[in-house]
Amino acid sequence: MEKKLLVEDHIRRNKRNTVIICTLMALLFLGVVFAVGYILFQGNLFISLAFGIPIAIGYVAITYSISVSTVLAAAKARPANPKIREEKLLINRVEEMSIAAGLPMPKVYVQDSDSINAFATGKKPEQAVICTTTGALRKLNQEELEGVIAHEMSHIKNHDILIATVTIAVVGAIALISEILFYSMFWGGAGRGGKKGEGNAILLVIAILFVILAPIFARLTYLAISRRREYLADSNGAYLTRNPEGLAKALEKIKQDTPREKPKGSKTIAPLYISNPFKREARGSVWATHPPTDERIRRLRSM
Amino acid sequence: MLLTILIVVIIIVVIFAMMYWGFFNRIIRMENRIDNSWAQIDVQLRRRAELIPNLMETVKGYMKHEKEVLENVTKARTALMNAKTPQKNIDADNMLTGALKTLFAVAENYPDLKANQNFIQLQDELTNTENKIAYSRQHFNDSVLAFNNTIETFPGLWFAKRMGKKTREMLQIPEAAREVPKVKF
Repeated sequence: MEKKLLVEDHIRRNKRNTVIICTLMALLFLGVVFAVGYILFQGNLFISLAFGIPIAIGYVAITYSISVSTVLAAAKARPANPKIREEKLLINRVEEMSIAAGLPMPKVYVQDSDSINAFATGKKPEQAVICTTTGALRKLNQEELEGVIAHEMSHIKNHDILIATVTIAVVGAIALISEILFYSMFWGGAGRGGKKGEGNAILLVIAILFVILAPIFARLTYLAISRRREYLADSNGAYLTRNPEGLAKALEKIKQDTPREKPKGSKTIAPLYISNPFKREARGSVWATHPPTDERIRRLRSM
Repeated sequence: MLLTILIVVIIIVVIFAMMYWGFFNRIIRMENRIDNSWAQIDVQLRRRAELIPNLMETVKGYMKHEKEVLENVTKARTALMNAKTPQKNIDADNMLTGALKTLFAVAENYPDLKANQNFIQLQDELTNTENKIAYSRQHFNDSVLAFNNTIETFPGLWFAKRMGKKTREMLQIPEAAREVPKVKF
């Protein structure tokens, strides 16, 4: 009974964090637009903002609206086929977990890959997608698969998928802006430079530095949160199944698994997976998308 | 002076009205969630009862000497179909779970039956409905707990009393059913 309250408190705090991070991302983004405007128009903020903000908002809106299909395309995922028994069983497990979580049934996708992995994506719980690799379907038993699905379902319930989507969109937008900035400075910079005073030059350097560092900063903020949320999704997932051992065993298998090939798909979506498919050794570093697997297993077993 | 008092009173009234509004919606929403999760359980129970005759048809040809096992399943199904109250429904369902467990255990002795595509499919689907029932029950009890907590603690207590809301009962899971592992694959 007490545990239940604990989980609910976590989710409440998580929701507040989601708002704070999305606001931070928006502020960071505005800062970049501001800095770019300052650099391009030599201090004429009104013009730069009038140009920059609509473009920026438009870009984020478009990325946001097509984010799910972008992620699925990057992972080369296809809808699960209920005619194949393995995939039918996956659909069954997802159905059960959506009932346990009290969420609408997400769409189920499968990624053809030998490694054991899974991810969830979507903008809100009502339009979520859960995707697992075919390797996971083949190598995990139903209890372990259930643990993995419960973990992904918790990401959906905790609104983690929204943050991931927003981060990917904002990081992409900032990168695009800085690229545009460098091209325009390259083409138009020569004629305008030289005449401005010292103070302006320093501000200009700061502005350029800010634009360069902004995507890195956005990524690091997101990664720090993403690692904490993995623990939370682990414990919430265990709460859904009332069986922490399922996920613990699945993580053990993932750790010992040696896939013949690297998973297909771009690195951008690595933070979405249940365990990072690309950099398994980068544990404890600020760049790690996930906490160390051993620690996750230890925490699950001590529940 | 009079104006200040007036403003303070208005602010208090507005805050109170907003709280009432918030709690009213929250309590109604929670109650709907409980009703909805009961509806979920009901759907799954019905689905499960519908699957049984198919299973019996498939199994009959193979299991010639296990009359009692088959009869127990049919009996439990009839009890489930006739159950009127939620608790009776759940009790009958637990009976059915036990009977099916025996049936699937016995089926292990019939290699031909175990390889039967129809049987495999039915077994998968029955496992699926069984898990769904277990998780709907869990979600139902979670929803009842959340609802009861809200209307039994301050300040929800006060609003719930005015709305005439009473605490709901959780579904009891009998000792026998608790021993059976909830997820059986």
